[in-house]
Amino acid sequence: MKNRGATILAIIGAALLILPLVVHDTFVLRVLTEGVMWIGLAIAFDVIAGYTGYLNFGHGAFFGIGAYTIGILMMQANLPFWAALPAGGVAAAVVALIAGIPTLRLKGAYFAIATWALSRAIQQLALNVEFTGGPDGMRLEAFLNPQFFYYLMLITVGATFAILWYLLERAPFGLKLKAIREDEEGAKALGLNPTKLKMQSFVLSALPTGILGGIYAYWITFIDPSSTLGDLVSDQAVVMVVFGGMGTLFGPALGAILIFAFKTIFWAYLSDFQLLYLIILGALIAISVIFIPNGLWGTMFKRKADATRPQHQPEPASEPAALSAVAAPEEGN
Amino acid sequence: MMELLPQALTDGILLGGIYITIAIAFSLTYGVMHVIDFAVGEWIMFGAFTGYYLNKWTGLDPFLFLPVIFVLYFGVGYLIQPVIHRVLSGTKGNPFLMGLVFTFGLAIMFRGLALTAFGFYSNSIPSAFSEGSFDLEPLGLTVTIPTVRLVGLAYALAITLILHYLLKKTNFGLGVRALAQHKDAAGLMGVNSKRTGSYVYGIYVGISAMTGVLLGCILSIGAQMGNEYTIFAFFVVVLAGMGYLAGVPWAALLLGLVQSIFMIYFNPSHTLLAVFAILYIILLISPRGLFGKGV
Amino acid sequence: MKFGFVRVLLLIAALFVAIPVHAEQRNFFKIGVITELSGDLVTGGNITKRGYDLWAQEVNAKGGIEIQGKKYPVKLVYADAQSNPAAGAAAAERLITQEKVDFILGPYSSGVTLAVAPVVDKYKIPMITGSAESPLIWKNKFKYTFGTIPPINFTGATSIKTLTELKPAPKTIAIIGSNDAFSKATAESYKAAAEKAKLKIVKFSIVPSGQDMTPLLSAVRSMKPDVIAFGGHDEEHVKFVKALKQIGYTPKALLMHCGITDKAFIDAVGKDGDQIFGTTCWTGTAKTKSKVLWPNAAAYAAASQKAFNNPGDYTQGGCSAAGIAFQTALQKIGAKPGMDEATRTKLIQALEQIDVQTFYGRVKFATSGEFYHANVGLDPLTIQIQGGHVKTVGPKASVEAAAIYPMKEWKSR
Repeated sequence: MKNRGATILAIIGAALLILPLVVHDTFVLRVLTEGVMWIGLAIAFDVIAGYTGYLNFGHGAFFGIGAYTIGILMMQANLPFWAALPAGGVAAAVVALIAGIPTLRLKGAYFAIATWALSRAIQQLALNVEFTGGPDGMRLEAFLNPQFFYYLMLITVGATFAILWYLLERAPFGLKLKAIREDEEGAKALGLNPTKLKMQSFVLSALPTGILGGIYAYWITFIDPSSTLGDLVSDQAVVMVVFGGMGTLFGPALGAILIFAFKTIFWAYLSDFQLLYLIILGALIAISVIFIPNGLWGTMFKRKADATRPQHQPEPASEPAALSAVAAPEEGN
Repeated sequence: MMELLPQALTDGILLGGIYITIAIAFSLTYGVMHVIDFAVGEWIMFGAFTGYYLNKWTGLDPFLFLPVIFVLYFGVGYLIQPVIHRVLSGTKGNPFLMGLVFTFGLAIMFRGLALTAFGFYSNSIPSAFSEGSFDLEPLGLTVTIPTVRLVGLAYALAITLILHYLLKKTNFGLGVRALAQHKDAAGLMGVNSKRTGSYVYGIYVGISAMTGVLLGCILSIGAQMGNEYTIFAFFVVVLAGMGYLAGVPWAALLLGLVQSIFMIYFNPSHTLLAVFAILYIILLISPRGLFGKGV
Repeated sequence: MKFGFVRVLLLIAALFVAIPVHAEQRNFFKIGVITELSGDLVTGGNITKRGYDLWAQEVNAKGGIEIQGKKYPVKLVYADAQSNPAAGAAAAERLITQEKVDFILGPYSSGVTLAVAPVVDKYKIPMITGSAESPLIWKNKFKYTFGTIPPINFTGATSIKTLTELKPAPKTIAIIGSNDAFSKATAESYKAAAEKAKLKIVKFSIVPSGQDMTPLLSAVRSMKPDVIAFGGHDEEHVKFVKALKQIGYTPKALLMHCGITDKAFIDAVGKDGDQIFGTTCWTGTAKTKSKVLWPNAAAYAAASQKAFNNPGDYTQGGCSAAGIAFQTALQKIGAKPGMDEATRTKLIQALEQIDVQTFYGRVKFATSGEFYHANVGLDPLTIQIQGGHVKTVGPKASVEAAAIYPMKEWKSR
């Protein structure tokens, strides 16, 4: 199984890499670039939401901070894109670090609303200061090379996926996060440091999001508070992750692909029914919550995970046994 | 600038009255069902349009229709609640999150339906109350109180008192409070959690719809109006302490006053920045709201 | 298990399937329309769509655009920009590469236009937006982007001037703008004009979008300004009028922007809308004369009334005029459908040269300066709502009715 999964992943990866050589249609490339971006945003969101159990309703703020950092550095400090890009990720991570210390003390709905309020405050700030261009937004110098942005997005998201895969599914880190999600007090009793782990998870979620925001800014060439700092990114990330399956990496990726594909096909070929799209999307979300509360991925592969669990204990031996037990029910890959 | 203070306070309190009506039933629902209903603004919007069309067809004052609208939307809420209950009582996934995402889906769907049915223009509901205002000049105060906003405040206080009475003095209220305190224990004591939940959700949807009519008279209506009110409902409910009903009027008044004072004495452009920053900071300092009594 | 993977792969494969594109050999003009058909700006987006639709309808009713004796009908292909710049850019790319449109009729908002403009520049596809009017667009000097509506900083001064010529002349003004790109620019243009006209500005405030402005207006009331000017969108206009009425302050003149010429605004506020001033550059009764499609503004308004039960406002008219601008330029160079790059370059040159009288007024694009490629052929108008109808009250050359001033008290209406 493991080998087959790896083979399939490798095939998909290779296909994605050679794709621009076969597909010359720049619109298709653009759509794929955006699709890849959403995969990245969804898995990054899932680090804090799915693995750690803290629903961040302000995920979009990290995206916007990354976008604005790159915009400001490129257009006002005249830095080249490559110099500005890492700064986008760092800026998002620093904000996560600073905001995380007080915010991650909150739980459940309180955390969700606090992050949402913070992201709204950041949006209002961007509307009210000079250097962001306020409501007028900001235009970046146009560099419209579809292949460049496709590969940049693909490599960024691929690397994010690989690193998160290692940290969350292979290293003890992921299990520790899940332990916090299931029982924070219990995790503490086992000698874990939840505060530190939550911080790490929050920063790990923010960093790639900020970088993706930066690529987005350079790619789209225009950013403003409503498109980058609004609810769009947060809302979509929540929907994609819940639809695909929380607490896994493949679930959100699958959710992102399907929701984005649905959206794009509707948008491109059924544009006369744009309002119908809202109705169907809303209904789809509501229905999927009722019938597949574990998300698509969790529902599809649940039986297998349950069946293989007894004979198969992949957890590193150094982990306390109780930890793997807490984490076990959600292991779905 | 000090001579503006009485008017600033009046405006803030009247605005607060509007926020009470948006948030009070929302808070009740959270207390009992533990659902953050993202569709609160959309219930308000549907109520507003129902009032708008009833007024248009009959020519009667929209305030006369409030009972009809309440009954109608009570029914809608009553019928929908079992679905939400099912989502929330699932053993799979994270029920709190599921409730949130479920209502989020409803909100998107409702907005799409409203745009299809009502079109994209903004509108306003005329009422006899929209006409006049009370001038307190004779009392030596430069204060004007718009009649329609005063009616709004009165409506807010009436709803608050009725809910208070229902909760504290009736058997139904006893059941609701028991449910809010401990779901399982309440069940053991003979509270029908399903039925009580349906009533509560029905009451909430009904009140929100009535509020929509009021907002249509005071401000404006449109298919996309919901989102804005969802924001304020969140704000007030969190500030009050989630599910703590008695905190709602104070939190609502505080929000109204913050907005009013900020618009008058500071840079109006920073009003929402202040609102969100205050919400964030209060959450950090006292997560269970101003009174520390949230659930 | 196996089933699961197959399903996933199938679903992924579905993403890659694009509907095949045929080589374009056609006897009609295929025109892309990018506008906001969903999202926050759905109202404005649909108004632009109406303008484009009405133009296409009228052209096709006449058999099409006549090029060298042969008539070519037009076909509009829509793409929703979802009120989101990224979706707008994707829409442009799709219309250009998949639909192979001949040219593009552009978005409602300036934000989306700013994201679309580099894309149409890249593919060298001409675009005229019938609505976006932010000064920022023109400052960027996009070669392939034009606009039929004059920039706000070009129109704002006229209505302030009209107001200062009223008797007794107003001396003080309070200016409020909503914090979005368009409304803020409107407020700023009023501010600049008021300073120039030596009006005393007692208050200048930008407020967050969509908020209740009663407290702010209470503060304004205490300063008793003669004029209150407001830059905002439709929903905010309604709230603004109602708030002013609720606090019981009637300024001598209330100035808003063009949104108030839409019938929907007048319907929403009823008699309270009366005597409000606005800035626009077109009304259904504007004195225009044209040889293309509609003979004058009234004929256009009648056609619009018939099609949409709404006489149309200056945004909708600007969008129809965008179609006429293309039509005129196409005829001038004799371009046939399925234009190649050289023809499109010629089309751009033709657009830069046209100077045509339309039902909308004169269309003439600036070719240099801060209004590069914006229509500077129009004379801005000051309008006032009188008895539920939009009347032009300034400047002198276009006056239809005398301005009613000072404004009648809310209470005594």
